[in-house]
Amino acid sequence: MAKYVVTSQSVTINSVDLSADCARAELVINSADVETTDFSSGGFVELQGGLKSGVLNLDFHADYASGGASETLEALVGTVVTFVLIAGGTSASTDTPSFSGSVLINSFTPVAGAVGDLATFSVSFPTSGAITKATS
Amino acid sequence: MTDITALREAIATNLATISGLRTDSEVPDSPNPPVAIVELESIDYDGAMQQGLTTLTFKIIVIVSRQSDRVSQRSLNDYASQNGARSIKIAVESDRSLNGNAMDCRVQGLTSVGSLELNNTEYSAIEFSVAVYV
Repeated sequence: MAKYVVTSQSVTINSVDLSADCARAELVINSADVETTDFSSGGFVELQGGLKSGVLNLDFHADYASGGASETLEALVGTVVTFVLIAGGTSASTDTPSFSGSVLINSFTPVAGAVGDLATFSVSFPTSGAITKATS
Repeated sequence: MTDITALREAIATNLATISGLRTDSEVPDSPNPPVAIVELESIDYDGAMQQGLTTLTFKIIVIVSRQSDRVSQRSLNDYASQNGARSIKIAVESDRSLNGNAMDCRVQGLTSVGSLELNNTEYSAIEFSVAVYV
């Protein structure tokens, strides 16, 4: 699979598969900007990469059933738990790489939504520690 | 697997709680008014990862006789109301799980008011849109 349409990302938080409640999944890996500008920089800012960090952004449908997104995340607020995000499939391969690590569940919105809309909520969890990519 | 037939039948069952209103989960050859007919209008797949959410939109067509314009209009007013014993919205949402076949459902609105000709007879008709989440 090369280019693909997003329909089947696999999202697992704390070993609970929340894919069926998830409408959007995004993992961003960042590097801090460490400035090394000096008098020999020729008038331009110079940078080096600093510490890496990540953010796991997820949009969920509210689901209070056992094993649902709401019920699962509510119990995890304030804890660091594992996550696994597989692009386009349910098992890691070269076409469907897996990214895993830990995230801090630092926020949760138990109730959200406008009248007449499907109840949804968005979360943005910072990663803790290394993010690992697997293709098998 | 989404059982569309079961969803249509469940909507028709909910509609049948309205006294005096016939229901049909499929489009009949010769409707016998007053009757509410359930039709599938559209499906939105992939509302969540791995087919976790599919949204089906059904159309409910309520057909009443036009033997008396005043009576038919008042009858349609009752069906169109957001509450009351003959409210289509109240009847459909009386069991939002649709007999356990859906996560939720909602009558979104009345989408059309007009007349309908069947077998050389003119009827009054109104249409509703129902969103069903499975």
